[in-house]
Amino acid sequence: MNLQNLSIKRKLMLITMLTSSLALVLSSVSFLIYDLMSFRRQLSQDLMTQAEIIGFNSGAAMAFKDESAATATLSALKAKEDIVAASLYSPEGKVFAHYFRANKSLPPSLPSRSQQNGYRFEDGYLQVFEQVTMNGERVGTLFLLSDMRQWNTRAKRYTGIIIVVVLICGSLALLLSSKLQKLISKPILHLEDTMRMVSSNKNYEIRATRFYGDEIGRLIDGFNTMLSEIQLRDSALQRANNELQTSTHELEVEIVHRKRTQEELLTAKQAAEQASRAKSAFLANMSHELRTPLNAIIGYSEMLEEEVQDLGKISNVRDLQKIQAAGKHLLALINDVLDLSKIEAGKMQLNIEAFGIADMIEEIVMTLKPAIAKNANEFQLRMPQNIGVMRADVTKVRQILLNLLSNACKFTDHGTILLDVNRVPNAGQDWIQFRVGDTGIGITAEQQENLFHEFTQADISIARKYGGTGLGLAISHRFVQLMKGRIMVESAPGQGSVFTVHLPVQAAGEHPENTQSPETVNAGASSEVKPDSDTILVIDDDLAVRDLMSRSLTKLGFRVVAASSGEEGLRLAKQIHPLVITLDVIMPDWDGWTVLNKLKADSDLAEIPVIMVTIVDNEAMGRDLGASSYLIKPVDRERLVTLIEKHRAVRLSTLEKASALPANWPSKGQKNSRKPEAVGPRRH
Amino acid sequence: MPKILLVEDNEMNRDMLSRRLEKKGYRVVLAQDGRQGYLMARSERPDLILMDLSLPVMDGWEVTRLLKATGSTCHIPIIVLTAHALVSDREKAFEAGCDDYDTKPVEFVRLSDKIENLLVVRQSS
Repeated sequence: MNLQNLSIKRKLMLITMLTSSLALVLSSVSFLIYDLMSFRRQLSQDLMTQAEIIGFNSGAAMAFKDESAATATLSALKAKEDIVAASLYSPEGKVFAHYFRANKSLPPSLPSRSQQNGYRFEDGYLQVFEQVTMNGERVGTLFLLSDMRQWNTRAKRYTGIIIVVVLICGSLALLLSSKLQKLISKPILHLEDTMRMVSSNKNYEIRATRFYGDEIGRLIDGFNTMLSEIQLRDSALQRANNELQTSTHELEVEIVHRKRTQEELLTAKQAAEQASRAKSAFLANMSHELRTPLNAIIGYSEMLEEEVQDLGKISNVRDLQKIQAAGKHLLALINDVLDLSKIEAGKMQLNIEAFGIADMIEEIVMTLKPAIAKNANEFQLRMPQNIGVMRADVTKVRQILLNLLSNACKFTDHGTILLDVNRVPNAGQDWIQFRVGDTGIGITAEQQENLFHEFTQADISIARKYGGTGLGLAISHRFVQLMKGRIMVESAPGQGSVFTVHLPVQAAGEHPENTQSPETVNAGASSEVKPDSDTILVIDDDLAVRDLMSRSLTKLGFRVVAASSGEEGLRLAKQIHPLVITLDVIMPDWDGWTVLNKLKADSDLAEIPVIMVTIVDNEAMGRDLGASSYLIKPVDRERLVTLIEKHRAVRLSTLEKASALPANWPSKGQKNSRKPEAVGPRRH
Repeated sequence: MPKILLVEDNEMNRDMLSRRLEKKGYRVVLAQDGRQGYLMARSERPDLILMDLSLPVMDGWEVTRLLKATGSTCHIPIIVLTAHALVSDREKAFEAGCDDYDTKPVEFVRLSDKIENLLVVRQSS
């Protein structure tokens, strides 16, 4: 077994035992050696003394050559057990007398001749030589040989004692060390146990017990401190882990929630689409279901009218005509709702046909008679006899006029309703102008802004007082746009209102909702549009206007970019920095005033001249907001071109000046230097 | 006396229109659905057919197509009447082969003008 891998306990015991035993053995052996050496010296001196005595006693016998006396003297050595042999030599060196121990099995060989006085050890024996003198005269030499029996006995006994003592002491040391090693091994073993427990259980709350204040105690302290540290970090880690788990869980919950919301949204969207489809189907169905009984009402009343007329009952004829008129109006209303849903879906189509304007007006007036009479209003019609025929969607024109006139009747009490129909040439085209005036409550400027928007009446209270769906003007506006005409209003509170509708005599019969001119398409994908001193940005929601402007301005060498909404217009303006912007006022979402405001608020765009091109007659407002010029639709094309040319000249001269400036001239400086030249509102 | 076949599922419209036509001096025969209309067109040999488009059993488009595809009836002028006022409906009706088209509610004067026109054209040809 490798010594190094022994347990601490055993190591400690072994060390203690070995150390103590070795010390004991070493000390005992050195003591033994010392003792045996001094004992040997003592023995040899004893033997020397013995030899002196015997030498003295045998001197006479030697002198007188008395051999028996000499032998007798030597025989006295019997008492000395350790002397195994003795001999007396004559001065010549010959053996004179000798002695051997009787029971000695191995007689030592005697030295052949006498030696000088002294002793020596040889072959485990002690040899002593002594001069025998008689009266100062040397008569022989005595030789003694001792087997050192006492010494050997003593050596053996001492060795035995030492072994016994060492064994006893070793056992005692073993016993003691086995007890005392715990002082060291116990805390270490405990520490080891604790460590094992901690590492196997991952329980960092366990602490090792400190037994003593020694190094191991400090080691245990250190270990405990380390454990605390680990525990602290472990709990912090655990906490962080928990927090992470919590937030992960929260995230999962959030994700689930979002998914659910998404699904709900999708369901809601599908439901909405379904509802929208159902609404369309319902509208189509309803319109059919409502028209069928109306068909009967109108038909039977017409039949009755004919029969009654044959019978000559004129008063009944008028009543029947009222039923017919009301029925037709009701039919028109049904169509209104259907129309609006079609407009909303972008599916409105024009049914262009030629019709006599006078006939249409007559029919309208007939229909409106009850409404005119209701508020005791007076009705005036101004229409030239030769007003003639126009090509348009007669249903829609009728509807526009009915809307405007019935509004006039509704909002006027004991006043006058005026319908003025005229043929007016403008911009190389013949237009029919319908002016519907009243002396009613009038409309404020703010109310005029929203007038043509769906579901908006000038005032909430109006709906209560006068009724109506609020769709009339919106539909009329859309219809006018569809037929590429214009509608505008002049009014002031208490001063009555005048609505003017311009419609082309020859409607083109296009379906603007479904067609887009190439110019507009290009503007839509205008990423390639570059700043250009010849570019004009036309912002108008009316395709007809955009088309017209594009065509006429392109012919004159301008590049025209068109935007159908204020938002798109603003984006394009930032992108292309046009020479001039023409801006409509009445547009969905952002109206022209909003767009103008935003243009002027943007330092990059503020200096681009803006020409308002609108049916809204509010030049003061335009000027206040920073418009350069103000043109009322239908646009006087020459005036527009003159204005644009003027702006182009200004821009060109500015560019020349700018290019004459040093190359490192700051761009801001250029802008500032241009500013005084910019065509500001006040210069027009 | 020209004979007119009126194919119309709504009783009131049928009654009203037939009475007004009779008053104008036409002989009117009536059918209530598309199938009946088709059969009567073959058996009665009318001079003109007034055809509603939304009819039970077989709709007006279908009947019109069938009649125009049948040798014995293809010469009979057909005026389609519908409450659908959409341009696409009119185009669809002409595609089916009708000779004229009018929307409901019927303007009787306009309709009788159209009837007379077609009858004159037929007589002259």
